[in-house]
Amino acid sequence: MPRISRREFVWRGAAGAVAAPFVLDPAPLGAAAVTAQEIVDRIRNAVGVDWKASTVDTFKAGEPSTPVTGVVTTSLATIDVLRRAVKAGANMVITSGPTFYSRADTPAPPAGRGQSASPQTRPGDPVFAGKNEFIKANNLVVWRFSDHWQLRTPNPFAQGLTDALGWSGYRSSGDPARLMVPPLTLDALAARVKRSLDARGGVRVVGSPQTRVRSIAMLPGTVAIQQAVAVLPGVDVIVAGEIREWESSEYARDVVNAGIGKGLILVGRSLSEDAGMRVCAEWLRPIVRDVPIRWMPAGDPYWRPAT
Amino acid sequence: MIAADVVERMKKNLGVAWREASFRDTFKSGGPDTPVTGIATTVFASFDVIQRAVAAGLNMIVPHEVTFWNDRDDQTLVSGDTLVFEQKRRFLAAHNVVIFRMHDHMHDQRPDFTYIGSARELGLEAKYETATGSHRFTVPETTLGALAAGVQKRVGARALRVVGDPNARVSRIQLGVGYATPPVNAPDIDVMISGEQQEVDGFLDSPEYVLDAAALGIPKGWIMLGHAVSEEAGMLEMAQWIKGFVPEVPVQLVKAGEPFWAPK
Repeated sequence: MPRISRREFVWRGAAGAVAAPFVLDPAPLGAAAVTAQEIVDRIRNAVGVDWKASTVDTFKAGEPSTPVTGVVTTSLATIDVLRRAVKAGANMVITSGPTFYSRADTPAPPAGRGQSASPQTRPGDPVFAGKNEFIKANNLVVWRFSDHWQLRTPNPFAQGLTDALGWSGYRSSGDPARLMVPPLTLDALAARVKRSLDARGGVRVVGSPQTRVRSIAMLPGTVAIQQAVAVLPGVDVIVAGEIREWESSEYARDVVNAGIGKGLILVGRSLSEDAGMRVCAEWLRPIVRDVPIRWMPAGDPYWRPAT
Repeated sequence: MIAADVVERMKKNLGVAWREASFRDTFKSGGPDTPVTGIATTVFASFDVIQRAVAAGLNMIVPHEVTFWNDRDDQTLVSGDTLVFEQKRRFLAAHNVVIFRMHDHMHDQRPDFTYIGSARELGLEAKYETATGSHRFTVPETTLGALAAGVQKRVGARALRVVGDPNARVSRIQLGVGYATPPVNAPDIDVMISGEQQEVDGFLDSPEYVLDAAALGIPKGWIMLGHAVSEEAGMLEMAQWIKGFVPEVPVQLVKAGEPFWAPK
């Protein structure tokens, strides 16, 4: 039986997801261990969307031929998550975010970035170096799963957010991205979002705290202004990952200043995808029965000074 | 005095060549012939700012940032909005408001008032700057937690965000503004103080880098003020600059303020 953290256990219990296999079938004696590449092949076969010719969903570190001892899903393969994975006996990490701090995700900084102001020889970047060393020393494989995972219907990131809030029963027309909830204030909703996602300082809100909320759009990830102007008129509040601050937050501010009772809650891009990678762990279990599958939330990167 | 006079004088006093190709620094409402009763500088020409400017008798607004919620102020991109777009346009027309954005040229100008204003507000005095215009400051050593608390107190940002170990010992600060984040992995910088940054999938500068630095025990921090907060202070310097060559009408800062608050 895989070890399950208290938080994961509590979540499963709360969501009533008792159908998830707690006890794994032990691999038949003498059978070859599953490799990272084989797991990726199974994912590609099962995901149900056409594989893109150009995609960020590729190996970021380690050898695809590595025999896998356990899989961890997360929104961000931080050193902290990698350490927790190793501690749990897992050596394959499936992340929805980059590993090396950029979309290009190369294991060294781009040329010219990180230059010293003083005319000394540029030292090697210690953060890239430290991460690469840890990955190598622990025989880790990191694979990104973002472009294709989010194309599934219903959107697993929206489903994860809705599950985390405990509002799966309030979907309008089955879509986890659209909720109709018992009335509450924007203030109470923001507090509930913060608590449900274990946020520290990353949650930010536009709107009047006393605004009454019933309908909510869940838009995890990065939201463009075109999407915001298309969605906000039809709901009371948008809960989004991130926006550009010269776009949707200013739009929401103008709407609110026009006396219209709406709101925008931003939770941060990574935190908005954390729960969707828990959905990914659940989805992987019947596909990869050979090794334990664990969800390890990367958590909220941000904090805020106490006032 | 018409809007064209104000724009001409800004061009003349700028000290750098005007970029005719700039799509940012153009009229967003009204036009060159609009008579000007007074000038408001601000970071965002929000509906609220426009209403307060009009109430104060100022019908020309010089914002650093956008009016219609996208970088090109392309109205077709947002005209599908049924909540406030038409209302904002109608208000601008009804009160004969002229809006002329000053973004690219504000950053071209020396000094760049956005940095001057932000450093002033943050208390990053000139004596701490390693070289004039470097926006790098060496301050007496402190912790990231104490520095962030001081920053929050000074700028009053309710929804300021910080990445990094609060106990990290820091003294070398790099200031960035708006969406211009300094390289997060510069080896001789402990803390970035900046406006806004794409969190994931950018060119390099991700909070994840700071999280990993902290995990490795490397002192590194990032204080994100938010775009509006980081660039609004310098609009005071912009108002004072305009006042120097437009003595005919009142010129003042009308603050847009921080759009966000944070839940308890």
